[in-house]
Amino acid sequence: MPWIRKIHKWASIIVGIQFLLWLGSGIYFNVMDHDKAAGRTYKAYSQIDVKVDTQKLLEPSTVLVQFKPSVTLTLTTLLSKPVYLLTHEQGLYKHFENHYTLVDAYAGQQIHIDKNMANALAKQSYSGPGVIGVSTLLDVPISDFPRQHNATWQIKFDDDVETSVYVEAGSGRIVGHSDADRRLADIFFMLHFMDYGNEGSFNSVQMILFTFVALWLSLTGIVWTVDLAFRGQYQISWLAKKTKNRTL
Amino acid sequence: MAQSMGLLKISRKLHKWLMLFVGVQFVIWSITGAYMVFFDIDYIHGDSLVINHQTKIDPNTIHYSLKSLLNDYPQAKQISVGTFINQNVYRFSVIGKKLMINATSGQLLSPIDKQTGQAAARHYYSGAGQISETELLVDNPPFELSPRALPAWRINFDDFGAPSIYISAQTGQLVGKRHEFWRLFDWMFRFHIMDYGAAEEVDNMLLFWITLAGILACIFGLVLVYFRIFKRNSETLTRSSKAAAMKKSNLS
Repeated sequence: MPWIRKIHKWASIIVGIQFLLWLGSGIYFNVMDHDKAAGRTYKAYSQIDVKVDTQKLLEPSTVLVQFKPSVTLTLTTLLSKPVYLLTHEQGLYKHFENHYTLVDAYAGQQIHIDKNMANALAKQSYSGPGVIGVSTLLDVPISDFPRQHNATWQIKFDDDVETSVYVEAGSGRIVGHSDADRRLADIFFMLHFMDYGNEGSFNSVQMILFTFVALWLSLTGIVWTVDLAFRGQYQISWLAKKTKNRTL
Repeated sequence: MAQSMGLLKISRKLHKWLMLFVGVQFVIWSITGAYMVFFDIDYIHGDSLVINHQTKIDPNTIHYSLKSLLNDYPQAKQISVGTFINQNVYRFSVIGKKLMINATSGQLLSPIDKQTGQAAARHYYSGAGQISETELLVDNPPFELSPRALPAWRINFDDFGAPSIYISAQTGQLVGKRHEFWRLFDWMFRFHIMDYGAAEEVDNMLLFWITLAGILACIFGLVLVYFRIFKRNSETLTRSSKAAAMKKSNLS
């Protein structure tokens, strides 16, 4: 038992504060508004039906030969125009590294997502009252989306919650929205995952070390509790007094 | 001095009592949290179970044109060109149903049969093991597969971790990759957020009250740490003075 107590005390000195942060951020996740925490306050969900003149579409085979070899060619639309999205190197997930080319599906010309186009795409995904302030093409890592591994346009809107819309530069895909609510939630995620380097991961060295110590803290704690119970240390005092009085 | 001793006593008492009720959940949090942190999340996701093929489309073998596709399937939507194992294919949907056709001949390939599903699973699977079980899932998917991926072939391999590879029966694409480490992770997560019901919801009231009690227990524990580090002398002083007093009474 002395060893159990010693481990418990030392472990609490090492991880005590972090333990409180884990609990505090944990209860925040429990009570937070999940839509707000996801940054979706001004997310537009309406889908625009694009009329595609299929007769004018270029043949995929003629498009494919004009660009680098592709893994997939996908017919999609960007700003109500049909486009072919060519994927040259495909990541296991969209946020992993991917190499794309966008091609006008009528004219066959390559499309680059410039500032104007990124702004227009962001507007399409935005339902708030704000107007666009600054747009910047960001290289990775992107602090609002640390797991995104591809260059991305950040379009800032001047609304009450400081919404930023992220548009992937290679594909035009909406990576997501971020705003003041989401950034606040991100702080709690950072505390909970000890992600103090904003790597978007909880498999860090500090996390592994602290959870290891925390494991010892709670295991020694439960052994201590069981030991206390066996030694009759869990007695409600007024009940104990009563029995004492009776024995007297 | 007497006041701070009172705080110490109360903290010790409340820490002891609160932990009697929430201590077990602390153990569960620690074990499940450690599991989730120790294993690399990409490994948990089964990323190492599959080969991320980069097979390129050969445009010269596409003899079946998009024009003929739109002629044969006028309602085709979400059209894409890609590969299925080693052949060029078109994938598209017709009124919610996904189809795959060979891009050279225009032959309809979907829905794919058991043998083709197994061939696709072997193509994607990175392990060396043998197929132990193959099953077509049409409805009621297991929790580890999104209902959107249905219908799908579930192909189990007899390797370490009981891996399952899921192949869409309509598109032949890889739609899932799971092993025991993911299944255990999912289970751990449920226990971590105290979700003892069906849905994975982090905003349940049980979690709220236990966490609230846990925060109090933790704060009282931190008070004990504070006394341990900063008031150590005073504590030992009281102990030794107690001992001295006892000695005195014994002497008298």
